[in-house]
Amino acid sequence: MIVSNLELIPGKRVAAHLGLVQGSTVRAKHVGRDIFASLKNIVGGELKGYTELMQEARQEAIDRMIAEAESIGANAILNVRFATTSIAVGAAEILAYGSAVRLENP
Amino acid sequence: MRLENRRPAEGINASHENPLAEFAWLVAGSLALLGAVVAAIALAAEWIAPRLPYRYEARLAARFDPVPAPKSDEARRVQAELQALADRLAARMALPEGMTVRVGYREEGIVNAYATLGGRTVFFRGLLSRLDSEDALAMVMAHELAHLKLRHPAAALGRGAAVGIVLSAISADLGRAAAGALGQAGLVTLFAFSREQERAADAEALRVLAAEYGHVGGAIDLFDAFARLPAAQRDDHVPAIEFVRTHPLTAHRVAAAVEWAGANGVAVDGARRPLPAAIAAVRPREERAS
Amino acid sequence: MDAFVELAILVALLATGFFVGSAIERRHYASIRAREARYADVLAFGFRFPADRVTPQRAFLVTGTVVVSADYFKSFVAGLRNLFGGRLRAYETLLERARREALLRLKEDARRRGARMVVCVRFETTSITAGWAPSIEVFAYGTALIPERADRAA
Repeated sequence: MIVSNLELIPGKRVAAHLGLVQGSTVRAKHVGRDIFASLKNIVGGELKGYTELMQEARQEAIDRMIAEAESIGANAILNVRFATTSIAVGAAEILAYGSAVRLENP
Repeated sequence: MRLENRRPAEGINASHENPLAEFAWLVAGSLALLGAVVAAIALAAEWIAPRLPYRYEARLAARFDPVPAPKSDEARRVQAELQALADRLAARMALPEGMTVRVGYREEGIVNAYATLGGRTVFFRGLLSRLDSEDALAMVMAHELAHLKLRHPAAALGRGAAVGIVLSAISADLGRAAAGALGQAGLVTLFAFSREQERAADAEALRVLAAEYGHVGGAIDLFDAFARLPAAQRDDHVPAIEFVRTHPLTAHRVAAAVEWAGANGVAVDGARRPLPAAIAAVRPREERAS
Repeated sequence: MDAFVELAILVALLATGFFVGSAIERRHYASIRAREARYADVLAFGFRFPADRVTPQRAFLVTGTVVVSADYFKSFVAGLRNLFGGRLRAYETLLERARREALLRLKEDARRRGARMVVCVRFETTSITAGWAPSIEVFAYGTALIPERADRAA
């Protein structure tokens, strides 16, 4: 499955547009990370625990988007965009969405 | 077509100048702003509240009666004597229309007395047990009655409520730490008004004392009694920084009394009247025979 | 007295935040500049259409994420700024660091997967508040391109 935020892939042709696909997750951190974050808040700097959390969440959202695309018979997702929102205290929702297409060689 | 990445100059999207300078003037500006706002609001509330007719305050006070009735015969006698003294002194003061002074007595060992809404004033055992003459007691009584006459409880309530509202309106926007710091700064400004009220009450009390007893020796006695308190209860076991206290320092109150006497041609010393019987019998809790 | 103790704690936190926070920031900037020099061979662009549309290219999404928190000093200054408005210089350096870091991680991802060119780079900044620790996440993503035919390398 090709995933890209471009509108077209050089050297390939879009044979069919199959619609919007999305993948989303809502993730919360656990207490251990939060205590460290509270301390880090005094001296500042990167919160590695949260960075990992967001990376995993994003990867999962992308995986779900790919699963949706596969289920409708697409072989590529173009024009991918992301939306991230802080939902509750310590929880974030990641949304990945894009256009599922069938690509073929011209 | 050429494709390359050139590095833009540093310092355009972020300034690398020292943040301490900015911090310094932000703090100075915030304190000045806060001081001005609190002072203005407090003055306004304090000016308005005592001008509201007393009957509103009386109605508000009627909802809460803070002093329970005395439980023992001894306590009842003490309260009666306190009330009699209050009535005698109040006759020399032009109390607001409709105000009836009611004196309460509480048996806790606290060395204090206070005046509150609704013409109420309360004396504690701890204070009574440390006074040696009616003059000294009268100084305290006249001081509390002066607070009532000048409507200080109403003013303090209005001021406190107004400042509290303003501070919470401002701090809703600020970060947590900044709000906490500014709140403390606001409280420090409030103490100044309270000291002003205490000075005014002292001045009125001296006038009444002079009228009733012919001299202000009772005031000197009272402040001496404060000086003789055990260290924990004295006001000078903390740094003698008047700025953060609710009352003027005792030393300043003595000086003010002597100065008042000189300015008004009143004697500083004279014969003292003895305490009324039941009050004289009041002893600190530790000394009571079981 | 309560007020003095609270003031002392506040000053201690501010001092820690300022000195330690500034040291961390300086070190981070040094690291960023060093890595930007190392990754100068991975090119990143924002345009949507690849310059060369004819050569078949392998295309895949690459990303870089970082979550940063402001130190106590920065938060305090931000709170005071709220009274007067104006430029929040303290946070500007924080966000710039986060953006440059996210872009560097994006380039790392691209190079690790064999690419030398990333196009259509986009940034997203989110505020994540966990309890009383306000933090900011910067996410950079783009499409990495690897030309498919060896004799037409970009």
